[in-house]
Amino acid sequence: MRDERHGVNPRLRTGLCCAALLLLLPALLPAPCNAADITLSSRTYLLYYEREVTGGADQRFAPLYEYLSGDASNLGGKPFSFHFYGWGRLDLKDDTDDDGRGGDIASAYLRYLHPTGNAEMRLGRFFLAEGAAAEILDGVFLKARTPAGFGLSVFGGVPVERTITSTDTGDSIYGGRLFFARPGYAEIGVSYLMEDGEFQGDDREAIGGDFWLRPGIPVDLVGRVTYNVSTSAIATQRYVLRLMPIARLDLAVGYEQYQYKDLFQTALHSAFLSPVIDLSDEVRVLFAVVDLKVAEGLTLELGGKNMKHDRSDPGDATRVEAGLRYAYNSLKDRAGLSAAVVSADRAENEYQEYRAFATYSPGDWRFSLDALTHRYEEKVGGSGITDAYHVVGSAGWQVLPYLKVSGDVTYTRSPRFTEDYAGLVRVSLDKGSARGGIW
Amino acid sequence: MRRNAFVLAAVAVVFSLSLGCSVLSTTESVPPRHPEDLPVGRPNCLECHEDVSTGALKPYASFRHSRAFIDQHMMYATQGQHLCQACHAASFCQTCHVRQEELKPNTKMGDRPDRMLPHRGDYIVLHQIDGRLDPGSCFRCHGNKNDARCRACHK
Repeated sequence: MRDERHGVNPRLRTGLCCAALLLLLPALLPAPCNAADITLSSRTYLLYYEREVTGGADQRFAPLYEYLSGDASNLGGKPFSFHFYGWGRLDLKDDTDDDGRGGDIASAYLRYLHPTGNAEMRLGRFFLAEGAAAEILDGVFLKARTPAGFGLSVFGGVPVERTITSTDTGDSIYGGRLFFARPGYAEIGVSYLMEDGEFQGDDREAIGGDFWLRPGIPVDLVGRVTYNVSTSAIATQRYVLRLMPIARLDLAVGYEQYQYKDLFQTALHSAFLSPVIDLSDEVRVLFAVVDLKVAEGLTLELGGKNMKHDRSDPGDATRVEAGLRYAYNSLKDRAGLSAAVVSADRAENEYQEYRAFATYSPGDWRFSLDALTHRYEEKVGGSGITDAYHVVGSAGWQVLPYLKVSGDVTYTRSPRFTEDYAGLVRVSLDKGSARGGIW
Repeated sequence: MRRNAFVLAAVAVVFSLSLGCSVLSTTESVPPRHPEDLPVGRPNCLECHEDVSTGALKPYASFRHSRAFIDQHMMYATQGQHLCQACHAASFCQTCHVRQEELKPNTKMGDRPDRMLPHRGDYIVLHQIDGRLDPGSCFRCHGNKNDARCRACHK
């Protein structure tokens, strides 16, 4: 427990100082930051919730989070840019023995984008999706393509991972991808990934293959295969056929297969390791998604997913879902309805899901309501409860062009919570040119 | 072991220098950022673009942010992130693809119910089922990038 006998809680004081600084941030920025090629965004969240612990006592929590994102492009008039994203937490109230702090630098890297051929260099900490790699690393990435259509990318550095097992994170990671692209028709690539470490007694070594084909008609055929060299087997493969015969219809059907022991060999989370799961299992997934624009602003979404396990435990299952989304108020607002049903070999894996949401934005205000319920076929975790409800109500005010303040109230009733209320206050600051998806 | 990484980095530098500008494709690169502000919500590239993206080397029609595309965005992103990066900052991708995170995306964006954000509701309960049925879908984000709070149950 925290000693609060000496007036203002020091954590609260620090938090308030941080919040005040952030509110003043736009005014503190130097003149060059007002240029259109710099974006600085801040999201500050203050949460409040209670948790009942064994014995009936309540614990209260009030964590303050700050998420900061910055992007500066056209540095020095050259095609260099710098990108940063990170977050930190300070607990203003925490009735546990936690140290009350947390945070992470998600990315901080310099990028060079050559004016032609999409030749690129990244240096620093970044998220990389390239062939068999979907990694965060501290290192370098280089990519270039020749006039003939052949291209090469290479990367190397130290993996940025987190382990909650006895296995350490990898020591180093490197790899590359060789590809050929004919714009508008095809791209085929072969990739290699190597991470030095002790993952189930071996390194992480993978060879990947990927392709995208568009045979002159509005059809995409995409595929991705990863071969685990360490276990000498195909870890995962996924193929998707996308049909877009008319602009308002997008239909995708696909197949995915993976084997636990080959895909999860490098897991740093015990949920993916024996004895929690049977590593001899193999999953085959068939899936389909339909996205149809029924009328102006109205979209119908249908989906289905069949999961088959080679082992009887946990059994097979099928999920089907349907939803409607409607955009209105000059596309500023949206509403949606959806329903999903999971039927399975084992009743403990069966449930139904229903959701409804709507937003309303009059002037500088924005209101939203989101309601979600789950109906489980069997009681979950000995709680005696088979249904769950989750409702989020939100209200926000655009105080200034760059400043928005909003708040959420969340109600939850589930097998875990008899009745739970949580509150969140959000302060959003955006300085610079806005893009479609900063957050 | 880190020696290999440095060797590879050196090879990469040599590669880039030897490649030189003269052997690079003369196709104009995708701009580092979208030249115009975009509206909130799912964009439809086809409202302005009809041709093939110089960044992704694929038709813009492939990138209409339909549910079908969003579910498969990994298949496109792993062939190149240029086009993604023109509109999405690192903070967008790393709302999910991050080493560690404590706030669920839908908690951070409770005011954006229109966004396709994972793990809505009391997902601690539901993840037991989804995780049993299709753990591969969990592994992509939680296999080696996770949260210390997972340890409370997964010891």
